[in-house]
This record gives sequence, C-alpha cells and structure tokens, in this order.
Amino acid sequence: MNILPLKVKNLNYVVNGKNILKNINIECNNNNVTIVAGNNGSGKSTFLKILHGLIKTQNNNKIKWGEFYISDIKREQSMVFQTPILLNRTAYENLLYVAKKKNITEKNYVDKIIDKLNIKNISNVNTKYISGGERQKVAIGMSIIGNPKIIFLDEPTSQLDPAYKNDIENIINELSYNKVKIFMTSHDISQIKRIGSEIIFMDNGEIIYHDSVKKFFEEKQCNLISEYINYG
Amino acid sequence: MLINILETAFDLIITLNDDLFEIINLSLKVTLSALIIAVSISIPFGAFLALYKNKYQSLIVLISNTLMGMPPVVLGLLIYTLVSKKGIFGFLDILYTPTAMILAQTLLIIPIVISLTYEEVYKKNKDYNLLLNSLNLNNFSKLKTLIYECRYALVTVALTGFGRASAEVGAVMIVGGNINHYTRVMTTAIAFETSKGSIELAVALGLILILISFIITLLIKSLRKIS
Repeated sequence: MNILPLKVKNLNYVVNGKNILKNINIECNNNNVTIVAGNNGSGKSTFLKILHGLIKTQNNNKIKWGEFYISDIKREQSMVFQTPILLNRTAYENLLYVAKKKNITEKNYVDKIIDKLNIKNISNVNTKYISGGERQKVAIGMSIIGNPKIIFLDEPTSQLDPAYKNDIENIINELSYNKVKIFMTSHDISQIKRIGSEIIFMDNGEIIYHDSVKKFFEEKQCNLISEYINYG
Repeated sequence: MLINILETAFDLIITLNDDLFEIINLSLKVTLSALIIAVSISIPFGAFLALYKNKYQSLIVLISNTLMGMPPVVLGLLIYTLVSKKGIFGFLDILYTPTAMILAQTLLIIPIVISLTYEEVYKKNKDYNLLLNSLNLNNFSKLKTLIYECRYALVTVALTGFGRASAEVGAVMIVGGNINHYTRVMTTAIAFETSKGSIELAVALGLILILISFIITLLIKSLRKIS
C-alpha cells in the first residue's frame, strides 16, 4: 500500500465564517519526518486533524494519500495529541485497549511495546499518577500499535523536559527509519533542525513555505520565516 | 421520654424484631428491583443521548431534567389512574401490590439516572472524543468505552437514585396501599406508625433509613475520590 504522495488540492476550511484554512495546495512525497510549523493560530493542528480525518470538511475528497482517500486508510493512521488523551486505567490497560480495538491477537504484543518504549516501571500504574513525559510515551505507544503507516504528532514534546524530549525524538527517528510517515507540528527550532526532513510553514491558514528543512533555515526572502527562526 | 423511645427503638433493631425486618426486607427488595430496572434502561439511554446529537436531544434532556423534580405523590397518582380497575392498565391487576410499588419507584428513578448519566457521559465524551475518533471506533464501541470510563460516576448516579427511591413515601403509599405484611415499606410504615402513636417502631425504621442514607453518602464520597 503506497500512501505517498500526499496530494491536497484547493482545501478550504471555514468555521463560523472564519477561514481557518485557505486554499491549501500541496504535494508531499517525502517519506521522512515532515514538520508543520507556524505561529499560534496559523492552522497547523487543524491541518493535521483534517489530514487524519478527525475534522471533516466539505471537500475531504480533495485529499489523497497515494491512490486512497482518507476514509480508505483511516486504520493506517494514528495521532498523538499535545496533551495526551489516556483512559482512566493503567498504562498497560491503555495499550491493551488499543490493541484489542485494532484486533491484535498476538500474545505479549503489549509487553513488546512496553519494552520498546522502556515504560515497564509504570506499566501497572494508573495514568493519572504518571508524569507528563510518561503520559506522552504511553500515548505514543498507543499510536504505534498495529504498525500504522502514518502518524500525526501535534506538538508532542512541547510540555516536556529535555530528557523526555530526547527520548521521544529517538522514538520518532526510529519510527521514521522504519518507514512510518511522520507529520509533526513543532515550535522548537532546534528540534525542527534535529529531526525534520521537510517543512510546511503556515501563516494565517495558508501554506507559505514547503521545502526541505535545510533550505528553510537558509531562507532569507520571507521576513516571517526569518523572524520565526530568529526568535524560535 | 425521648430516651425511652430511642431505647425501645434500638431494642427492636438489636433483637431483630420480625415486623421491623419484614418491612426493611420488603423496602430493600422493592427499591433494589426498581433500581436495577431503572439503571438497565436509563444508563444506556442517557449515554446514547450524550453521544448521538440529534434534534430531539435537547428536548429529551429538558423533559428528563424536569421530571427529576417531579413530586413522588403526583407520580403515584398518575400510576394509580393507569393501573386502577378503571385505568387503561387495570387488566394487569397490580394495584396495591409490590409490583406497582416497583413500577412507581422505577419511574421515579429513571429521569434522575438519565439526566445524571447524560451529564457524565457528555463530559467524558468531550475528553475522549478525539482519541476515540482517531482510533476509528464505531459508535457502539465508543458508547461502551465511555460508559466504562464513567463507571465510578455511574455507580454514584445509581446510588443517588437508590437514595431518592428509598426515602420516597407518596407514590408507594398511593399505589401500594401500605398493607401490613404485604406492601408496607419503611417510609409508609413510619407515616402509619406515627399516626397511630406507635412511635418506637417508627423511630427504629427512621434510624435504619438514616443508616442507609449514611452508607450511601459514604459510598458516593469514596467513589468520587476514586474517579
């Protein structure tokens, strides 16, 4: 199943008369980490949610993943949110819940995920009582169950300390290495440099830049991007 | 005088007085049966209302919220008119039976459980909506998950319903008739015994009711802490 290139044609998203996304046109063929960046309110998270199918627009059929529409490959996608959404159960039970919902019957599958993320120490603790970084790791664990082909990460490290940030970046790099297409929003300039391969820069609901991360940091023409890089 | 009454009341409880425990036994049977029926209907329905947005949703919630405050005596009167000999359900012949009392208490609890379940599941759905949609679950799976995630809160809801039904007197008096050894429950017995001056049994039953209320409050508090 080839999910690339991602093609979006003339995508608009209007809420209460306000244009959240304006005439988005994009073709994305990069199979590494794509960063979606931009100032607050630029439409990054909304764009990710539309690509994942969480927000339905009147023109969702203007988005194609390879030969497929979103609804065809919904099961091949997952998403991690800025504030992890976890069930009021232990970390193990959260992972088991997702595994069951994805009809995974393999014995010890959840244990393998726990080992992979190095969260054995908290696996039997209710997620109410674990730290933000640990919660985010569990959420990432839930997102990788069933080996999705695309994972959306909405500022997954924005509330984490450097040690957890490093842990999660390593997981993201490993996923990308294993051919999982990652779309990730981030405000962290050094993080964008470290793990990003291509970047989509948004402002006020429009995509104003789409190229490699390397070229993005050499960009001198656009004041907004220069400011973003300098103040980031 | 008060000390004497309390002494006799405690004596009735400690010596496991037959009349007293017959009344307690019937009260618990009626209220628990009503609770089980009401909860089985109302929790799925309240959760369904919270999850599926439709044009009747607000109207149903409004009606349910209104019925939460319905005076039990009015409900009793309504059921009486329906199940009395001349009523449309008169053929069922359930007037002045425990069945009619269970029916009254069930109808009393249903709006409470629907409204409170709706509130709880609606809140929980707001928290989990993105996750459940991201997992591409069907609506039935979402409903099951949300009910499970609200489990502690829903037990509290059920206990609230139990508390309301066990303390209710008007409806069961009208449809049960307070018949000795048949439809006499704690609340109707308290009213009856007091009216005939047999205050000791009424106080003993009152103490039991207070104890039940205390246990329910304690359980609700503990469950709130857990959830």
